[in-house]
Amino acid sequence: MEPYRAAVTSDCEKLLSRFHETDSVRFQVFSKIWREMNFSQIFYGTVNHQKRAFSRLILDSAYSFFLPPFSFQIRVGGLYLLYSLHQSQTAAPPEQIRLALKDWEDVKKFEKDAMDAQHLDAIYILRQLMLKKAFHFTAMPTHLAFKKLRKKEVPALCEKFIERACRPQEFINNDLLEELSNIHELYGNLKSSVSETSKESSVNLIRQDLIPRLRRTVVDFHNWQHRKGDSEEEEGSGEGASSQQDCSRRAGLIASIKSKAYGEAPEARRSRRHRQVEVDITSSVAGTWKSPAYIRRKIASLRVRTNESLHVSDDMHKGVASASKITHLTSLGFAAEDTPNRLNGGKDRIRVPS
Amino acid sequence: MATSTDTKTNIPDYEYLDVNTNIFHIDAFRSEWLNRLQPSDFSFQEEDQETSDAHFAAEMGISAETMDELKSACSLDSLRCHPEDQPPDPEVVPPDPTLKTLVQRKKKQDHKATLKSSKNRHDLYADELERLTFGTRPEAVTDMIPEGEIILTMNIYYPATFEKFSHVRPHLTLLMTGSHTLAELRDAICCVSDLQVCGEFSNTPDMAPDFISKDHFKSSFFYFEGVFYNDMRYPECQDISITTIEWARDRNFPPYTQAKMEDTRFVDLKVKVGFPYLYCHQGDCEHLVIITDIRLTHKNDCLDKKLYPLLTHKHRVVTTKCAVCHIYIGRWLTTNDQFAPSNPCTFCEKCFRMLHYDTEGEKLGEFQAFPYVDRGAFN
Ligand SMILES: [Zn+2]
Ligand SMILES: [Zn+2]
Repeated sequence: MEPYRAAVTSDCEKLLSRFHETDSVRFQVFSKIWREMNFSQIFYGTVNHQKRAFSRLILDSAYSFFLPPFSFQIRVGGLYLLYSLHQSQTAAPPEQIRLALKDWEDVKKFEKDAMDAQHLDAIYILRQLMLKKAFHFTAMPTHLAFKKLRKKEVPALCEKFIERACRPQEFINNDLLEELSNIHELYGNLKSSVSETSKESSVNLIRQDLIPRLRRTVVDFHNWQHRKGDSEEEEGSGEGASSQQDCSRRAGLIASIKSKAYGEAPEARRSRRHRQVEVDITSSVAGTWKSPAYIRRKIASLRVRTNESLHVSDDMHKGVASASKITHLTSLGFAAEDTPNRLNGGKDRIRVPS
Repeated sequence: MATSTDTKTNIPDYEYLDVNTNIFHIDAFRSEWLNRLQPSDFSFQEEDQETSDAHFAAEMGISAETMDELKSACSLDSLRCHPEDQPPDPEVVPPDPTLKTLVQRKKKQDHKATLKSSKNRHDLYADELERLTFGTRPEAVTDMIPEGEIILTMNIYYPATFEKFSHVRPHLTLLMTGSHTLAELRDAICCVSDLQVCGEFSNTPDMAPDFISKDHFKSSFFYFEGVFYNDMRYPECQDISITTIEWARDRNFPPYTQAKMEDTRFVDLKVKVGFPYLYCHQGDCEHLVIITDIRLTHKNDCLDKKLYPLLTHKHRVVTTKCAVCHIYIGRWLTTNDQFAPSNPCTFCEKCFRMLHYDTEGEKLGEFQAFPYVDRGAFN
């Protein structure tokens, strides 16, 4: 079966690539492409005793598209692909989709995102797979038999399926800048209070322009990323050009939503100023980390997770896995919201937006 | 700080990408899954579609009309790639395919058609073993495997004694449940060295077959993650791991411990999936053991406890045929044999007797004869 892996992956990518171009998450859009490509035929002509092995191969290949680092839209496509392949396979008894324990959280998160965005067809199909007992609840996504390949082929992830990094923008948001400038001010006051003499001193106790600089850096990064995307688009030619454009158009859309956060100046709002009068500075600073707003944005857990994913960076073999985790961090819940239906007001929950 | 490689977590992840996992406790892994799932998710019963749809509509707060619309939008009919009244033949590659997989399959089949077809019955029935037990339910309720039980897939490799076997790695594959003991695995591993007869019998060939190794050398052990699991079921059993343990202790290796094979269930083990462990018997016949998969049972699994350990794959090895008739599998191995075309040489029972003994059963000429069990005898 192994010789078919590349062709199978390529066929799946082709299907998802066309799905990606539609910018839709509707099953009807997916099934139309499936029919146009005659995708049911992919099982045809498999010799009897190889049917199960082929089902296994193609389900394993499709499974990866259902997980991060792929964008929400591609993951919806991956889910539809798993469902369609599982239901169309010619093997008897049918092969099941192997769902690994470590991927469960990602699936639950996906379901929640789909739920929040009311993508009924995506939720329904996930539930159908559960109902039809289409999953094997496993330790790992594939059987492992200690097969160390001499020449390790690192599977090239389809770049345009992956969401662009946006963690700096998300992490350094307005609230954080506001909080930071508040703390910065308190810190400055504290510094000058312990060294009375230095009031007029030339020694810089603190970096005065820390917050504006931080903001400027993130905006610069954001703009650079934007320009880079545009130039890539110009480079695109021939067959891939339309999808490239599509990709950057969508990325631009996401970026514009996010960049709204930078419209306002990061001046500390009056409402936060009350903290200045608090005597116990350490406790008030510690307290802000636990304030409901921060818990909601999971900044503390982000730090934990960052450490987690960076911890393994010295291990070459983990390259792909850790990269996927880092990208995963960036998809903090917005993925479900940037699909066109939500932008259209989310009224049409089943049909394709025309 | 907790990391994904922390030994305390029982959520398997790669230690080496695509090769093997970190170490985890099998029963704790099972609990992790059961805690996350609804009992219906791993139940052997299938909930009916209508009830499920009603639940879904209620949960989502959608009308019956919207539900119907949703169902038709997600129907399997929408995946059909051919007119309803013209079902295609799924056994043949469709003409003029565009999918790369089909192009490749067609090319391969066209190529095969030009070759002389030599269909191998073993290949044709490769996964027949598993197909036969698909969804099997036991006659007695007490033999039913409970929902939420663990199923392990084990590969047991044959000792790589011959250079020519080193790249194919012949093995057998067994399915075990989490409540099986290691002793039950040991009894399921058939290895020719358990049947090997020891000794030279050229003068008394009739004496040979009564002497089977398994009856005389019962001791054996498994090795998983620093623990030797010895078979201590019979009074003749010896702890054959102690030599290794003492050797390691004298050389400041990390300490190894011992346990009894018959008292250890799979769920009690801490293992790495995909990692090679050891089964040793007959003193020096060593087999690599790899747990290739651990998962929850599924309604399509063979659910009859009595049919486990379930053999799902058996590698065929090339059988050594008799040097005279070339038909029967060798039963005798001779050395320094003046009648033999090679040294050593194998003979079937009949040819061996005809060639080496007269009608009175008297030994002719000089040679040594050893009863021989071919590796392919169990094909
Ligand atoms: Zn053996
Ligand atoms: Zn013969």
